[in-house]
Amino acid sequence: MDQAVNHAAPNHPAIVLRGVRKQFGRTEIIRGVDLMIPKGERHALIGPNGAGKTTLFNLVSGRFSVTSGSIALNGQSTAGLAPHHINRMGLSRSFQITSIFPRMTVFENIRCGLLWARGYGYSSWRLLTSGRAIDRETDAVLEKLNLAARRHVLAGLLTYAEQRALEIGITIAGGAEIILLDEPTAGMSRAETDAMVTLIRSISAGKTLLMVEHDMGVVFELADRITVLVYGEVVASDTPGHIRANPAVQNAYLGTGDN
Amino acid sequence: MKVVVHLLRRHWLWPAAIVAALLLPFAFFDWAHGHHSGFVLVLLSQIGLMTIFALSYNMLMGQSGLLSFGHASLFGLGSYCAAHAMNAVKAGTFWLPTELIPLVGGLGGLGFGILLGYLATKQRATAFAMITMGMGELIAACALMFKGFFGGEDGITTDRVLGTSILGVSYSAPWQVYCLVVAWTAIATLLMRLQTQTPLGRMANATRDNFERAQFVGYDPRMVRFRQFAASGFFAGIAGGLYALVYQIVTFDTMSADTSAAALLAAYIGGSGSFYGPILGTILVVLLQSGVSLLSNAWMLYVGALFVIMVMFAPGGLAGLISRHEPIRRIGRLRALLIPYLRLLFPGFITVAGTVILVELTSFATIGSAEGQHLQIGARSIDPANGMPWLTGAVVLVVGGVWLRREARNFGVRWNMLIEDAKTKWTRP
Amino acid sequence: MEVFVVTLLNGLVYGMLLFMLASGLTLIFSMMGVLNFAHASFYMLGAYFAYSVSTHIGFWPALVVAPVLCGLIGAAIEMYGLRRAHRNGHVAELLLTFGIALIIGTAVEMGWGMMPAPYRVPSLLDFPLFAIYGTQFPAYRAFMLLISGAMFGAIWAGLKYTRLGLIIQAALSHPDMASALGHNVPRVFTFVFAAGTALAGLAGVIGGNYQVTEPDMAVAMGPVVFVVVVVGGLGSLTGCFIASLLVGMVQTFSVVLDYSLADLLRLGGVQVTDTMPFNELLTMSLPRIGPLLPYALMLLFIAFKPRGLMGTRDT
Repeated sequence: MDQAVNHAAPNHPAIVLRGVRKQFGRTEIIRGVDLMIPKGERHALIGPNGAGKTTLFNLVSGRFSVTSGSIALNGQSTAGLAPHHINRMGLSRSFQITSIFPRMTVFENIRCGLLWARGYGYSSWRLLTSGRAIDRETDAVLEKLNLAARRHVLAGLLTYAEQRALEIGITIAGGAEIILLDEPTAGMSRAETDAMVTLIRSISAGKTLLMVEHDMGVVFELADRITVLVYGEVVASDTPGHIRANPAVQNAYLGTGDN
Repeated sequence: MKVVVHLLRRHWLWPAAIVAALLLPFAFFDWAHGHHSGFVLVLLSQIGLMTIFALSYNMLMGQSGLLSFGHASLFGLGSYCAAHAMNAVKAGTFWLPTELIPLVGGLGGLGFGILLGYLATKQRATAFAMITMGMGELIAACALMFKGFFGGEDGITTDRVLGTSILGVSYSAPWQVYCLVVAWTAIATLLMRLQTQTPLGRMANATRDNFERAQFVGYDPRMVRFRQFAASGFFAGIAGGLYALVYQIVTFDTMSADTSAAALLAAYIGGSGSFYGPILGTILVVLLQSGVSLLSNAWMLYVGALFVIMVMFAPGGLAGLISRHEPIRRIGRLRALLIPYLRLLFPGFITVAGTVILVELTSFATIGSAEGQHLQIGARSIDPANGMPWLTGAVVLVVGGVWLRREARNFGVRWNMLIEDAKTKWTRP
Repeated sequence: MEVFVVTLLNGLVYGMLLFMLASGLTLIFSMMGVLNFAHASFYMLGAYFAYSVSTHIGFWPALVVAPVLCGLIGAAIEMYGLRRAHRNGHVAELLLTFGIALIIGTAVEMGWGMMPAPYRVPSLLDFPLFAIYGTQFPAYRAFMLLISGAMFGAIWAGLKYTRLGLIIQAALSHPDMASALGHNVPRVFTFVFAAGTALAGLAGVIGGNYQVTEPDMAVAMGPVVFVVVVVGGLGSLTGCFIASLLVGMVQTFSVVLDYSLADLLRLGGVQVTDTMPFNELLTMSLPRIGPLLPYALMLLFIAFKPRGLMGTRDT
């Protein structure tokens, strides 16, 4: 059934949320969210703390299951799928709290991001000795991240900004088409943030990007469209210019226009 | 040919270790009567097969972050499988070279690893630990129930002189068995080392570090755990098979909680964070077990105390302690630690001596006297009922302890200075 | 019928003993995330301390002194050992308790010898309380029920009506809240750990002369207590209670019911002969497979209901 639909309409939106609700015990965190993100769009999710942005991320990436409603990636429903299955469908994410492999080297961190995508599976036979194509790909990613010089350092020993960059690297190494970034510039200086923005722009070229961010500067620089989430509901979803001008958003969130 | 030479030069440690292992028994050779010391050969064989067992255990603990309390089940089941195979070969049911008997153990361990691992790896961390403990108990309880396979309380006896050696060796002599053990230890260690460099091995590390991140690079953490568990069962089974060959009897001891504990102790004390750590740990634990247990009833107390001290102060084990010296070695200042270490050595020795005196006095006061033993140092017999030895021991312990504490503080100062030096002189690795 | 009632009572006694042990373990595990591998070692210590105090002073002082000693040792381990190991994660804490168990095990052997200690039921309680269908029910077992029941009541009341109890209750199901509450969390942890070990010690005092007091006690009792914790589920004392009784009944009844699968089949008209496959398994009587029943139960739960009977959290 899905196959026929795919053939007829190959331009499925990357992410579609329909009537998504999420309850934890008696508390409803997400109260009916509808969202449609077309392929190749850079989309930012903003909102005050506690609005449910990370919960929404966790729902889309499969960490939690929806209480009701549906989520579809490239036209395929993600209902009941475990996170690794969703990842294999072409979605990858970064985490709010840096999530890397601290006891492995920078090089191995990135390479792990490539293993499944390059078909290595759970093999106990194929040796990952040097000189393989996957190593060259890993080096290419490291170059992009500006971490090539640190390739043999244990990831746990990197600076915070380097770890955040590495996290992005692991996220995109496998070539995921849909990228979710959870507060990628959190805790960064101005200079580090600018570097991160450049990186995000380069790695999301031609891909679909959904990003949670608090730094409005970053949001307005990168986003094609912005969705504002307040108390688990979508208050507005539009282009940056319209969002800026939206009085409801201004009241609820942006203040009097200063960042 | 060039490739072989290149490989040998890069990895010279392997053939060197094998040669050393083969030469070692000759240090205890009885030249007057022209034969090896049986005790030494069995001890070294034990070290060899326990090394495989501990390394297989570390595939779970150090590599995958899985703490198992039932690993002996796989070791023992593999051992029973090998013993039955040996008996079948002896009876002529089928033909198998003696050299491949450990492989039968390995396949048995693999099979049971798949069976048990299927359930156990549904969970991770503490739940996994509890499941493996329950499984270990369950299988140990089965030992007395299924007499056919386990042979009840007497176990399964077997004979390794099968006459099916492809090298034409009878394996009646301990020396011949020892060579086989060395060969298998080398092969198993090499295979396990290579396995760490496979996709599964790398992802086992990754899943240990961060299972959520592993999911988001496309791997199912449960599958990684499951396959790693099965693989570790394979190698544990090989160790079990060697056990059957060496001792020619397999009892439910091989599946006991004590045997699982031995693997844990060996792997942790040696250093679970490094591949070779468990090898160090095995040598230490087996020597303590075989050596100290001859002299003292309290050897388990010493091992337990050593273990607790390591958990609190040196979680990286012996290998971890050694690797902490790496930054200092790189700036060539290792020699600066020589005197501080020597200054630690003497008070350390005194503290240990004081502890040993008190422990042994207690031991002989209760267990020893019940068994009619007397504490003897040299020719003098020491009576635990007397107060003097206790006082001596206590004084020695306190003096040693105070002195050690002071020297440890000095050592710490020296160490930190050198580490700071290393950090500033070596900003880029 | 008489067998059933007597076994039921015995199962109750044993189940309550298990609960005394498992409740402490669950509390410690749920609150602190530490699986106290040495928990059964404190059971053993309690029995041995009680034996020594009984022989020199009396049983009734032992009832107080032994648990207190166990609690003090537990507090010391928590303050000087666990707190330090906590820095290196839960695995380090578990390994520490594992090492402590080894040390206590050998220390007991050294302190009291390797033979079982002749720890007897006090003569004051050594009489048959009543008879059911001709079988005597010893007064001591009633005493055990009394003590364990009183303990359960005290814990329940303490948790429900004291401030500390409320904190512990909250921390049982939401351990992160413990830190957010602004209470002296380390001290609460020390208290919980010490209380748990003291409870285990008390169980040892009354259980040591019901079972045999020997150096293998901890190793024999320990794994069964873990089964109870798994089956009962994390974060729920009620679940722990039910699981304790369940496992207690299973173990007690399995010893008494001398039936096998073959007997069951015979009811259906099928006769099991020596030549049938699995005949060894089918003719195995319940008492013989008794030792593995708790573990089989645990594995069933892990496979089908990993949260246990009433668990509120995942492990």
